[in-house]
Amino acid sequence: MNKELLTEILATFKKTQGYIEKDNRLFIETKKEIVPALLKYFKDKSFDRLAMVSCVDRINENKLEIIYILTSFCLDNPLNIILKIKISRNEPELDTVIPIFENAEPYEREIHELFGVDFIGHPRLTPLFLEREYEIPPFRKDFDMRKYSEELFDSVPFVGDEK
Amino acid sequence: MDRNKISKWLKGPAKMGHKYSLSAIYFCTGCGIIEVPPVITARWDAERFGVIPVASPRQANLFLITGYVSLKTLKAIIRTYEQMPDPKYVVGFGSCPINGGMYWDSYNTIKHLDKYIPVDGWIAGCMPRPEAIFIGVTHLWTLIDKDMAKGYVKYREKYESYRKNQEQILGKLEWKPLYPIRRRK
Amino acid sequence: MIMIIEVVKIIVLPLIALIIGIFLMGLARMITARIHWRYGPPITQPLIDMVKFFDQRGISHGFIFDFGIILSLAGSIVLVLFIPFCKIAPLSNSGGLLVILYLMLITPLGIALSSGASGNPNASIGISRKFMLALGYEVPFILIILTIMKSYNSLSLIDIVNVQQAGTWSIISSLPLFLTGVAYFLILPAILGVRPFDMTTAPQEISSGPKVEYSGKYLALLSIEHALTLYIGLTLFVNLFLGGSANFILFFIKILIVFIIGLFINAVFPRFRIEQALKYLWGIPTLLALAGLILTMII
Repeated sequence: MNKELLTEILATFKKTQGYIEKDNRLFIETKKEIVPALLKYFKDKSFDRLAMVSCVDRINENKLEIIYILTSFCLDNPLNIILKIKISRNEPELDTVIPIFENAEPYEREIHELFGVDFIGHPRLTPLFLEREYEIPPFRKDFDMRKYSEELFDSVPFVGDEK
Repeated sequence: MDRNKISKWLKGPAKMGHKYSLSAIYFCTGCGIIEVPPVITARWDAERFGVIPVASPRQANLFLITGYVSLKTLKAIIRTYEQMPDPKYVVGFGSCPINGGMYWDSYNTIKHLDKYIPVDGWIAGCMPRPEAIFIGVTHLWTLIDKDMAKGYVKYREKYESYRKNQEQILGKLEWKPLYPIRRRK
Repeated sequence: MIMIIEVVKIIVLPLIALIIGIFLMGLARMITARIHWRYGPPITQPLIDMVKFFDQRGISHGFIFDFGIILSLAGSIVLVLFIPFCKIAPLSNSGGLLVILYLMLITPLGIALSSGASGNPNASIGISRKFMLALGYEVPFILIILTIMKSYNSLSLIDIVNVQQAGTWSIISSLPLFLTGVAYFLILPAILGVRPFDMTTAPQEISSGPKVEYSGKYLALLSIEHALTLYIGLTLFVNLFLGGSANFILFFIKILIVFIIGLFINAVFPRFRIEQALKYLWGIPTLLALAGLILTMII
């Protein structure tokens, strides 16, 4: 049944590759233009829960990889659909999926904050977790945490020690 | 009650009151809070030491910092600490507030808590056992007895330095200073 | 000479009430600990807390905040003077059950005034729950008081106690009085504000409700007021239904027995929501009190 679904997807959408792993993970790699259409397609197929949106920094390929994971509440099918897309690391832009899945809102805010991805059409990309502003978003791999923390936190003097 | 204790009560009832009635505020930072429910409930029963949890910072005089402190939590900690009435005692619990612990190179977790608020005692370990809280409490008793738990006095005297440190990390603070800040010439 | 004795009585009675109330608070914490299978604090713990509170730096929120807490404390102290304790009853002749009925509302009113001035939303929620609860227990309470007035043909607590001293306790003297006594015992936790009915001061939901903004001396006054409330609720029950007593020790033992039975309920029960509390209070206790009143009228 899962294989039928995969062949159907590959037939419907161009520029997609897909494979199944361990019987319950359906990986689909695609381009960023197709993502809203693909999510709408899965939602109509009763995969109605967006479990999470995540991001990986592929610094060797100079790409950011955005991952959407979908499961189903109503089907009796333990299938996780994992959607992977790669976007440019220098100009990370992506359409928001809030019109399709409303619960993507905090995930997209988080990714915007920690990886610097701009979601076009997101209603409020305001800070969610962080208190300070960072030049490089802190979860990117070229962000030197050790140097940053040494510069920031060790420059604060102990009270009573200073002149 | 032995004679020694009675004479202490007669000499300084207020000090003994602070010693044997520590109201710890419900405030969770990080993972150490998981050790606190066994401490205050039937298994370890902190109430026999006079330690009882309260819900409002206005009624509390013991502040347990139970784990790593991120910048956002630091803001809440400072506000809660400034709302507590004098005298108040702060105990850092676990290795993260002492020197950063396993978050020593994090971009968002402070390393030394006592740069921002005064801390009267530390309980080391990752995680400390619930018994360690009781050892901490009895040490705090000794400190109160010897007039060494004076963190709140230090905070009042060195408030400019503390406020400067807090603003260096958190940017401009939204709330007014607790004590008046003297302008340096 | 009689004048001086009266004045001494007026000064001494609130002190006795305070001592008994603080003792009961300590006992409550100890016995609750033993029921929970733990060692528990020493019996002097409320006193130690109070000493600490008086030394702490209190934070005031304006004139109404100070005034309200003093008003509620004054209401409690005056109410203590109207309830006879053994033979000490300074003001019992001048008032009666009606005065007690009115004065019992001053305490929550003062606290409402005071904590409302603090401007904390948790305090407002707690106060609204407190008044809902008062609405809940005042209905059966008034019915109970009416039944007692009717069956003894008297408003004076002294007279009621004297009749019981001569005869039997009112709770076993007749069926309607037995029904009202049971009804009073069922609403006693609501009057005292203990566990099944402590939604007004729930620490986990609304950070201890009305007392969220109190600190230092204000909190000490609030604990004194709580001690007096415990004393008032229990002595009223003992005087009305268990016959009072001329003997101090016997009177105290009666208070203790009623309190400890209530404590067992307190220690093992979870908390009602406010609408569950109202449903309970307007259910069985009101019906029992109403049945008692109707039976008294018929007989």
